[in-house]
Amino acid sequence: MSGREIVRVEGVVKDVRPGFGLRRKRVLHGIDFEVREGEIFGFVGPNGAGKTTTLKILMGLSRATAGRARVLGCDVRETAFRRHVGFLPENPYFYDYLTARETLHFYAKLCGMGRARRIERVDALLEQVGLAQAADARLRTFSKGMQQRVGIAQALVHDPDVVFLDEPMSGLDPIGRKEVRDLILRLREQGKTVFMNTHILHDVELVCDRVAIIVAGRIRHVGSIQDFAGAGERQTDVLVARLGADVGAALEERFSAELRGVGDRIEVRVPEKRAGEALSSLLEAGAQVISMSPHRPSLEDVFLSTVEASRS
Amino acid sequence: MNPVRSLSCILAIAGNTVRESVRSKLLYGLVFFAVLMIGAAAVIATLSYVEGDRILQDVALGAVRFFGVVIAIFVGIHLIHREVDRRTVYTILSKPLSRGEFLLGKFVGLVGTIWLQMAIMGAAFVAISLGTGAPLGAPHLAFFALTAVELALVVAVAIFFSSFTTPVLAAFFTGGVWVLGHASRELRDIGAGAESPWLAGATRLIHRILPDLESFNLSSEAAHLLPLTTSDWLLPVLYGAGYLTLVLFAAVAVFERRDLR
Repeated sequence: MSGREIVRVEGVVKDVRPGFGLRRKRVLHGIDFEVREGEIFGFVGPNGAGKTTTLKILMGLSRATAGRARVLGCDVRETAFRRHVGFLPENPYFYDYLTARETLHFYAKLCGMGRARRIERVDALLEQVGLAQAADARLRTFSKGMQQRVGIAQALVHDPDVVFLDEPMSGLDPIGRKEVRDLILRLREQGKTVFMNTHILHDVELVCDRVAIIVAGRIRHVGSIQDFAGAGERQTDVLVARLGADVGAALEERFSAELRGVGDRIEVRVPEKRAGEALSSLLEAGAQVISMSPHRPSLEDVFLSTVEASRS
Repeated sequence: MNPVRSLSCILAIAGNTVRESVRSKLLYGLVFFAVLMIGAAAVIATLSYVEGDRILQDVALGAVRFFGVVIAIFVGIHLIHREVDRRTVYTILSKPLSRGEFLLGKFVGLVGTIWLQMAIMGAAFVAISLGTGAPLGAPHLAFFALTAVELALVVAVAIFFSSFTTPVLAAFFTGGVWVLGHASRELRDIGAGAESPWLAGATRLIHRILPDLESFNLSSEAAHLLPLTTSDWLLPVLYGAGYLTLVLFAAVAVFERRDLR
């Protein structure tokens, strides 16, 4: 890890009262992580894990019950650091009687931008997020995907150094998702730091440098994408045909193999260190071996096993 | 904090608040009924053979005050609640402005809206008075000026309650403050005449804590065209400005600590 520390979260605890007179419930159990300058940091977790709560604490919208959260070296309750920070909330809502251009001008004014700079920046951003054609249409006529683009544009309106995005791909079609991914990568090229909450693991694998997995208010893993890819026991996939049911059951029992149907074929996943033994057994049983390849655990594998382990 | 930058943020929020509130159907409905009531005052005045002008102005000025306060409470509470409920406040507060500046911007915008509708009601009142030949004078101007201050104070109270409770409770509490604020002088006098020292103390405390809204009520002076001294309007203006500043400070202090979910 290199670069200046941009975000530091230390022992943050958050208790919420679900309703009047009800007992407080702990939703964050002393989480710790840090984000370095210039990286794209993915904050991943199932629904209700505490991702948005953490982001709200970082943006000063919610207060931590205990612990410390700092952005750009400033306490998150301060206002000044937000001059260098952009934020896209989950499912953002804007004043629907304003046009996209008026909306961005409104947010630019709140950032203290002068008129000339505002006009230039707003035009550039509308072009960048693909809303130049709809710039003067009222937001009430916008689709969810278009509203999301407005959200991204307002987060970037003051050209911040750090961008916090809560589910940035939400509501976007595959082309829109690709465009947002490209935009995030461009932000990194410009030297900006991106903190991204999401549960779309494919996007995380494509753009993030480092990932934290949060489950039930506890950080379970923090590391680079490469760390995740190398995590867990190495396994080998053997694709076979003509596999008898009894042979399959024997493989499951003897090698702790996982069997999965792929069309009329079966994929047998066995621990890498026992792959040779399993291959011999398959050939002896008369199965036709089509291919054999090492299996790299994906972020999804690590994520699912982490969630399952924490639930059990 | 740069004051020019701070003022620019407050004005941006205020401008947007005016733009949002003038789109409210509720506001148009209430202004329509207010103007209708002012017009109806002319009809009601014809039912009396004596003091027709006074009845006209009593009813019309009463309508201005009643509808003014209803608009102040409902529009004020509705707009603050909507910002939090629809989470537009998330993107706003992620920008470099404080919660205090946000709340102050909402206050300025809401007061601007309320004063705009007061101007409409005032125009209707002047038109009816001129049309029926009822007298107009400086006390009427003072009446509208002090009602404007009173409504700004009511908006501040509505914002204070909206900063921590539900819209229904905020409307209930603000309405309660308005009613008790107008009755507190009488309550104090009743308490002072009572035998129980506890009752006397309680009513005196209510009078001191709650805004003395009767000090803004010049409807009798206006309806009877009574002469006014400078202190008759200046002291209430200063009192109102001071009180609403305190209420806004309290609202900001509460809103600063609020968790936005």
